[in-house]
Amino acid sequence: MKQAAYGLVLYIFLMLPPVTALAESIMAIHMHMQMPLFVIAGMLMTPFFQKKFPNLFSKWNSNGIPGIILFMIIVLYWMLPRTMDEALTIPAVEIFKFVSLPFLAGVPLRDSWKKLETRVKNIIYISLSAIFGFMAWLYIASPNQLCNNYLIVEQKTLGWGFVFLAACIFIYFIQTLFIDETEYE
Amino acid sequence: MIKKKSNRLAVSIVILFGFTLFFIGTDGFQAYTVETARINKLMKENPVFPDVTLEDSKERVYPFTAFEGKYVMITFIYTECTDVCLELEMNMAQVYNNIPDKYIGEDIVFLSISFDPERDDPATLEKYRFYFNSDGETWRMARIQDQVELDHLLDEFGVIVIPDNNGNFQHNSAFYLVDPNGILVEVMDYTEIEAATEKVISILETEEGE
Repeated sequence: MKQAAYGLVLYIFLMLPPVTALAESIMAIHMHMQMPLFVIAGMLMTPFFQKKFPNLFSKWNSNGIPGIILFMIIVLYWMLPRTMDEALTIPAVEIFKFVSLPFLAGVPLRDSWKKLETRVKNIIYISLSAIFGFMAWLYIASPNQLCNNYLIVEQKTLGWGFVFLAACIFIYFIQTLFIDETEYE
Repeated sequence: MIKKKSNRLAVSIVILFGFTLFFIGTDGFQAYTVETARINKLMKENPVFPDVTLEDSKERVYPFTAFEGKYVMITFIYTECTDVCLELEMNMAQVYNNIPDKYIGEDIVFLSISFDPERDDPATLEKYRFYFNSDGETWRMARIQDQVELDHLLDEFGVIVIPDNNGNFQHNSAFYLVDPNGILVEVMDYTEIEAATEKVISILETEEGE
């Protein structure tokens, strides 16, 4: 339960107005730091919810598939250029970001991950790196300004961040194929 | 067995939720960027050009209503701009040249509005217009000195101008066509010169036929 408390502290810290203002002033930090941190805050808080609502998770997410799909939907949604812009200009969208990333992406991800079969995990690794690769191409190659609130230079920086992420996930995926973690436990 | 069923139900609910979320978030899969959403919305709302006072490159001062009875093709620029504005104005010049002479000045006027009134005084605008063969009459370049009026106009027409630290601005660009009653009727992609030209000519032709 200590984890859940840390998660809550992180969650509140991220929502402090000066912290959000700073994090959102730079595009790459907005997408590659603030948003993942919200997901992590949610993951940390997961044990609390699992204890509080054990039925919800065991009944509706017994094989982990609904949870992981929900996670993918939320992640995809926040990768649209439009949602990033609107989070800055429309308060309701900003609130939805604060709610959806931890509770609709972080919590289901942690609850689902252990339940998933290796086959499904592999699909997730591959699709995530493919999606991030596509986003990298979109943000780097686009001649147009995709977000009205951010400069094209920032957009390209963000794109390179995606290249890095896609590569990391893919390398991690490859190593899972060759290295059996149980041997080292 | 029961678990399998609830899992399937949960998957369907999640997918339905995702579909709805994306549907609402993109205006029915129409607009994935704020810029597209903005243009779609402008074309639906048709805002009226607000009451502003212009000062053009010939130091003439007049309200926007001076153009009443004519279509006005508008761009928003600043003269120190080194990239987009040049392309925008070059393309505007091509549209200007492609429109039959009989309409120019009679039924349609071109107007480039600077959103950097401090640096873009009439003398600067006068110099700038030569680069694009603008005659200063049927294609005018003007600034709006009153910052409140300028901001109101930019806001109404959804023009976003972000100053950076080097005295430049990041801004969105388009061709705006305002009708003889001062209502915004078209927002056109400034990179599609031919499409914009055809659109303007067809609007002028229907107007003439009436």
